[in-house]
Amino acid sequence: MTSINHVRSELRKLTTTRMPLAFLAVLGVLAVINGVAVAAGTDMDGSKTFISTATDQQSLMAFAANALTIAGLFGAIAAAREFGNNTVIATYLSAPRRSRAVVAQLTAIGLGGAIIGLVGTSLTAVAVAASLPFTAYGFMVSAGGVAQIIAASALAGASGAVLGAVIGLLVRNTGGAVTGTVVTLIIAPPVIVQLSNSTAPWFPNALANVVSGVADTSSVPAAIAALALWALLPTLLALWAVQRRDVV
Amino acid sequence: MTPTSAKHPLIVEGLTKRYGRRTVVDGLTFRVEPGRITGFLGPNGSGKSTTMKVLLDLAAADHGTATIGGCRYRDLPDPAGTVGVVLEPNAFHPGRSGRNHLRIIAQATGQPTARVDETLATAGLDPEPARRRVGTYSLGMKQRLSLAAALLGDPPVLVLDEPANGLDPQGIRDLRDLLRARAARGHTVLVSSHLLAEVQHLVDDVVVINQGRLVTSGTIEDLTGSTAQVRTPSPGRLADLLGAAGATVRNSGADALVVTGLRLDQIGDTAHAAGVAIHELSPHADSLEDVFLAITTPTPQEGTQS
Repeated sequence: MTSINHVRSELRKLTTTRMPLAFLAVLGVLAVINGVAVAAGTDMDGSKTFISTATDQQSLMAFAANALTIAGLFGAIAAAREFGNNTVIATYLSAPRRSRAVVAQLTAIGLGGAIIGLVGTSLTAVAVAASLPFTAYGFMVSAGGVAQIIAASALAGASGAVLGAVIGLLVRNTGGAVTGTVVTLIIAPPVIVQLSNSTAPWFPNALANVVSGVADTSSVPAAIAALALWALLPTLLALWAVQRRDVV
Repeated sequence: MTPTSAKHPLIVEGLTKRYGRRTVVDGLTFRVEPGRITGFLGPNGSGKSTTMKVLLDLAAADHGTATIGGCRYRDLPDPAGTVGVVLEPNAFHPGRSGRNHLRIIAQATGQPTARVDETLATAGLDPEPARRRVGTYSLGMKQRLSLAAALLGDPPVLVLDEPANGLDPQGIRDLRDLLRARAARGHTVLVSSHLLAEVQHLVDDVVVINQGRLVTSGTIEDLTGSTAQVRTPSPGRLADLLGAAGATVRNSGADALVVTGLRLDQIGDTAHAAGVAIHELSPHADSLEDVFLAITTPTPQEGTQS
């Protein structure tokens, strides 16, 4: 029983239900919405300045913040449903040293989140590129810029998925885990920023935008490190919690 | 600590488990021997499943130990290859196929994929339904899938919680044959069940618990054959005397008692010493169900105390 066996087992869990298809469908819908917005949408003044520069187009295609939230929900559902379906029993019977099971699960879910980010950005970029010929503007984002938003989405997706999965492991209820993820990623940050404006650059969505190259509220290396911490610190919390609680 | 031999007795010593203020298992001690099938019996909520969860390191004990071959489950060199488990009747993702459920466990425990098909066949689950989503399965099919999962590592220990629940008569017979074959190979088999008539035909030993405490343990013959029928004109007085001597006594008519826990000569001597007349004293072979109900149903005094 090696750790790689556990990771492969967790990956098989993720790929043997219809959940990935549901998330793929969401990514497809978002890409189509982006494509339609490029082809048919305008600014308030009726112009299309929102796609008139390379920076504007990169900002439009930057999927990292979306990847963070979508992958967060993916992670929350993937982890919490193990408790809802009692499949967690088989998980911890095969890895009674629970830290091994948790690390394997979070690794697999993090990989899943990275793939969500990759696929989401790629579909969005393709949709935008396919829609631009219906406008007066061409595709202006450099190859480096496209690579940056794809890499940023993968990182944000991985981080968000792990964060969501930890919430799922702690809450152990799918509805609660989804709610907790929404609160953590969407509802709580603006409330906390109201209380302390200096925290704004360090919330995951802001960090994702920095890594994507569409915001400069912190440096890219600092944003990458902070985004990784948003996954790492909750992982430590999960490892601590699962050692101390009964599985069932 | 590692096992010193291939035999894996299950040893529960002074086990106590509390959930908040509620004590679910209270100082429980018993032993399950290799080469025998042991029935683990008790009313709903008596602590059977909790004891199994502690044994399998799914829950932590507050006091005491529960070991497999001298080791905690988590300290076994190959836990999933040592202990096969059926614990919850519905521990599956409904959208995943039965076969994929087993492949996931096989992958995590390092078992070859070929074992999946072998154990499906052993558990009597055909290949076609095994490829269907578990959400479409009957309870009996889910039980067969649970059993297949338990057998994946060909383990020398089986811990099965209500494995016959939902099985048809053929399934119950297959299960019985399977468990007997495993015990004959020297394997350790612990089976909890509410199907007492079935248990009576299946097990060699029984451990009976109630309200988290051990009520009795021993061979099935000892348990079902150790009762006596007594007819006396003073049933109330004799019941008090025998109860004080450690017997479990229940009424079996206006002047008759069924006594468990004392030999015939001990009953006769007790009555004689107290000057209580006895009109009949005979061995009484109860069904397991009768014995179970007699020793787990609270007396009126116990009922008012609780």
